[in-house]
Amino acid sequence: MAVKDEIEARLSAAFAPERLEVVNESHRHSGHSGDDGSGESHFKILIRAAAFAPMNRVARHRAVHQALGDLNARVHAIALDIA
Amino acid sequence: MSAAEQIKETVEKNDVVLFMKGTKMMPQCGFSSRVAGVLNFMGIEYQDVNVLADAEIRQGIKDFSDWPTIPQLYVKGEFVGGCDIVTEMTLSGELDQLLEAKGVAFDKAAAEKIREANA
Repeated sequence: MAVKDEIEARLSAAFAPERLEVVNESHRHSGHSGDDGSGESHFKILIRAAAFAPMNRVARHRAVHQALGDLNARVHAIALDIA
Repeated sequence: MSAAEQIKETVEKNDVVLFMKGTKMMPQCGFSSRVAGVLNFMGIEYQDVNVLADAEIRQGIKDFSDWPTIPQLYVKGEFVGGCDIVTEMTLSGELDQLLEAKGVAFDKAAAEKIREANA
């Protein structure tokens, strides 16, 4: 399964988001440090879910990190926009 | 001294600390560069810690904060967040509020300039 699909599957299962956009931005970082040549090194995630409402920023990010599990270590960078 | 003890001492001794890849003058990652750039532009006095120079600190800071990524910003010993959070807080003005509440000096006009440029 592509990393993008795995991210979507895990976040959908964990938060039942109203809106979820996962963008593979790896091509924009081609040749930078962190580009491992896999084409799956950098991702941008926009997620909107009611589950985040009671959480502060740090807690929201921690919740997403936890849901992503081993994916955190498998990609170089994930930019998160959570609300 | 263990990595955890070193980290604790660093964030307690310095009002503002940025754990980053590279240094404030020569960042080696786009995300570290962005946060260092904001702090530099806002004239904030801070201690930079280059995690690439010490593998134990690099892992240690992730365990310390229970946060898997670098950069990490601390103000008065408190973990604020990484690149996304610092960016959001800069643009919303929450970073100004935090610094004011914690008594950390910064250039308010420079912060406003960042917000104008990103409006």
